[in-house]
Amino acid sequence: MNNPHHLNPTSLKSRFTTRFLRALTKIRAQKPISSSSPTEIFRRYRRIKVAADKSMAYSVRSRRIWSRAMLWKLRSRSYRRQDPCSGRRSGKTNQAIMKKSSNGNITRRREDGVGFVEEADELRQLVPGGETMNLCNLLDETAHYIKCLTTQVQVMKKIADFYSF
Amino acid sequence: MNTALPEMLQCSDLTVLERQRARLKWQEEQFQQQQQQSYFSELSCGVFSSQTNHVQGFQGGFMGGASGDSVLSDMVMARQVKPDPGLESPWPELGKVDMAAMGFGPCGYGNGPSFDMNHAISRTSSCPPAVAATKAVEVKGTSEKMASAVGKESFKKRKAEKLQNSKVVAEDDSKRIKACEDEGEESKITGPNTNKSSNNKKEASGDASKENSKVSEVQKPDFIHVRARRGQATDSHSLAERVRREKISERMKYLQDLVPGCNKITGKAGMLDEIINYVQSLQRQVEFLSMKLATVNPRLDFNIDNLYAKEVFSSCTTNFPTLGMAPEMVNPPYLQFNPIQQVVPCGGVEMGINSPDMTLRRTISAPVSIPDASFLDSSCLTMHQCSAMQQIQPTATWDVELQNLYNVAFDQGRSTPPFPSQPFAGAIGASDLKEI
Repeated sequence: MNNPHHLNPTSLKSRFTTRFLRALTKIRAQKPISSSSPTEIFRRYRRIKVAADKSMAYSVRSRRIWSRAMLWKLRSRSYRRQDPCSGRRSGKTNQAIMKKSSNGNITRRREDGVGFVEEADELRQLVPGGETMNLCNLLDETAHYIKCLTTQVQVMKKIADFYSF
Repeated sequence: MNTALPEMLQCSDLTVLERQRARLKWQEEQFQQQQQQSYFSELSCGVFSSQTNHVQGFQGGFMGGASGDSVLSDMVMARQVKPDPGLESPWPELGKVDMAAMGFGPCGYGNGPSFDMNHAISRTSSCPPAVAATKAVEVKGTSEKMASAVGKESFKKRKAEKLQNSKVVAEDDSKRIKACEDEGEESKITGPNTNKSSNNKKEASGDASKENSKVSEVQKPDFIHVRARRGQATDSHSLAERVRREKISERMKYLQDLVPGCNKITGKAGMLDEIINYVQSLQRQVEFLSMKLATVNPRLDFNIDNLYAKEVFSSCTTNFPTLGMAPEMVNPPYLQFNPIQQVVPCGGVEMGINSPDMTLRRTISAPVSIPDASFLDSSCLTMHQCSAMQQIQPTATWDVELQNLYNVAFDQGRSTPPFPSQPFAGAIGASDLKEI
């Protein structure tokens, strides 16, 4: 049994929890829960998912490549939503830049001499921002990403359990 | 005489102590030559009557003045900077005397060697510890000048380093000062090692400034030096390749620990597949949970304030059934009218928290209440809350009380169905939402 007194308020888990709960509160405040049409639920689901990813990315700040990539993705998506014209422009330029760099790397076919090209590519697609990493960094980022994902799952599970038993 | 000592010093067969004694004797002779016998005899009496530690400390005092090397001046400074920590339990009284000595040093004498004599003398004489740290600072400045002003001895650098080495060994402040640390380590090694290795180390260390840079170099290498292993290609490309491969395998091992069930798989490709599957499953889990959260009907509000008021969790997984009491507790009129004592236990039952008092006060103040976060990990508490929490009963007590109160509550028939009906939830939800 954990000793509840030994808390780390600056841990990833606590940071994520705080942010995520705030986001959840906002989402619930926007619409009453009583309406349970599928579209509503689906919309809320999307928002919650985005909120989860966003709170996780913000909890990690820019310390990791994957968090930076995720933040960039979220921001560009929100810009696109708010102002389609400017969003498109900025999105395009940013995407162009990203693709350029990633293409530059990919055209080299990433033959790192280690021979895990297919799996590595698949992993790259899973981890946000993975296209621009070499295998070494990719493994690093994957480890941290896995750690953050497990934290996310734990917290969300607990929240869901609390509210839905 | 002058040449005998260095040779003796270079012989690492001598133990450190023997070297100390030899040096001391040599110093004796040196100072006798300078016609300060009166002081010295007093000093020697004082020193030799004390423990060996003191002898070594005394050595340090001599070292400071005897050499004009910048190395030793640094050492002197270092010693002066931290005389107290440097002089540890073996000779606690010397610490104070040392400070006194430093204070008294410049007062009476202006010469380098004589300064050191005074330094040494004050150690043995009983000086009122009137000197403050300021004095030590003054002394530091003056000693610096003196050290440089002292006539250059015929020491070679290596000798100076060795002296310094033993001085460091003699003193216990080797741990405090990095350069000393480096030297200290070296000196420890000189015992078991052969002459060559010790000499090599001493050569490598060089000056004090160089030592510092060496220490820093050791700690922060600019390059990662890789040695080609036996029977392997030695060109730079393959070396770099090998380094990369080692890094990758190291990371794969770390990932193996992270991903459950990866121990059985040995191939790297299989491992990567496992990792990919695991990441995919985690992402799917997040999606599923967010869908669940979207559909769940919050009986309770996600009030952040209450979030901070609670702890719970893993200790209270068994108490989840008691959470059914929560909505009932949330009922504002119920809270307002019930005396705190009555509500407190219920609050405790409800959450299994350590601080039901706090919880309830908060709930009463903010009717939107419910410790939503109660289920959350204790990690969501802020620092300030943590300190508050710690004042309250330990969890163990609460668990027991919890169970008791839960039973009591149910016995009294106060329990509504543990899973509140929709209207109740709707009412609470609506009121809560408005409160936000």
